[in-house]
Amino acid sequence: MSDFVIKAPAIPSVPVNGGGRFPVRRIFCVGKNYADHVKEMGGDPKKTPPVFFTKPADAVHTGGALIYPLATDNLHYEGEMVVALKSGGMNIPAGTAGEHIFGYAAGCDLTRRDLQAAAKSEGAPWDAAKGLDNGAVVGAITVAEDIDTLDAGILSLSVNDEIRQQADLSTMIWSVPEIINRLSQLFELKAGDLIYTGTPEGVGPLVLGDTCRIEIDGLQRVEFTVTQAA
Amino acid sequence: MTKYVIPAPKQPAVPVVGGGLFPVRRIFCIGQNYLADVKEMIGDHVKETDDEEKNAIPVVFNKPADSICTGGNIALPLATDNLHYEGELVVAMKGGGSNLSPYAAEEMIFGFAVGCDLTRRDLQEVAKELSGPWEMAKAIDNGAVVGGILPERDFWALEKAHLILSVNGEVRQSENLKEMIKPVWNIVADISRYFEVKPGDLIFTGTPAGVGQLLPGDRVRVGINDLAPVEFRVTNR
Repeated sequence: MSDFVIKAPAIPSVPVNGGGRFPVRRIFCVGKNYADHVKEMGGDPKKTPPVFFTKPADAVHTGGALIYPLATDNLHYEGEMVVALKSGGMNIPAGTAGEHIFGYAAGCDLTRRDLQAAAKSEGAPWDAAKGLDNGAVVGAITVAEDIDTLDAGILSLSVNDEIRQQADLSTMIWSVPEIINRLSQLFELKAGDLIYTGTPEGVGPLVLGDTCRIEIDGLQRVEFTVTQAA
Repeated sequence: MTKYVIPAPKQPAVPVVGGGLFPVRRIFCIGQNYLADVKEMIGDHVKETDDEEKNAIPVVFNKPADSICTGGNIALPLATDNLHYEGELVVAMKGGGSNLSPYAAEEMIFGFAVGCDLTRRDLQEVAKELSGPWEMAKAIDNGAVVGGILPERDFWALEKAHLILSVNGEVRQSENLKEMIKPVWNIVADISRYFEVKPGDLIFTGTPAGVGQLLPGDRVRVGINDLAPVEFRVTNR
């Protein structure tokens, strides 16, 4: 039916616990959302408002083998809780933000930390650091009705079975409803959006052969292994 | 057949001159690609690029694929008091790869279009000041305006081309494309060192001097010689 002049790209999607797939429209990410991580990165948690950045929708990677990205010598993991939206809008009040949530997943924001450091020193965009191919790892989505409100619970990230990040979701600076409220003042949110809600302290490098696992109480874990390009 | 739990978003696409639609995968944008614009944005200390600078990390950012807008009415975006136009040449890719040579990159080009990178300049200034990400300034809804794609990869013809952006009939940007610091093939090659370029990618190749503010009611037209011009009007929120 379509008259595309080249083959249309596949629709990026994420599996859903219980069946079906969640098609991804956009990926938004929150930086600086755990006080300890802000301190770790040299900031004052009370002073800095959250920053938002994006990843390409087709950067989603749902676990398994993950090829070490191009153009970096310092690939970092950032374990995060991910919110999936089934609807959206502009200027959504925090009080009704929950109505738009489809579900939650465990995820990992992969970052070329060397390129991010270069960008920060130049006042340049972060996209080369954050928008990398396969840089949005996300596990199967658990439907919101299947869990109690997800405002607490332990997030932990391990590398080769050694825990590197561990924090309670209740220690986020900006809650999920507040994030949706703020983000929808900047962009019209829509069904299919994923929101990475920030990472706690303990970020660090990944090298070839490392297996990285992210677990969040009540959600399905996600695991990937860093491999060499074929 | 994949079973989706919510309706899948519509495939963003741009009309092709002569018929058909070009489906958009990603949108890459290059900053600081005209010397006069670089001077305008960061002062007079800029010199001609040397080899070291040519090999430096390019200023590259993304716009969401569905921020494509093919003209018509555009509501003033949320959260800005200083919306800026940036007229640009846009490259559409039919192939790709990583670590491409400029010659290989040239082979992968599907065609060219005229575009306008809409920017929340006030938020970009904040981002630069705080060393923060640019997406709140650049990844805005309807922020990637692009006209019909000419399916012609002969850049030599285009190199004689001249970009003109006018607001309400008054010329604001006027520059020959040969004033680009980096030619199109090298831009594609540069991007492919950081990302795998794929069919469906659009690349905005930077804007010349003369960027400025748009207000509700303004009519913008961007043209480059024989490419299909793109026109839009800014409306109230």
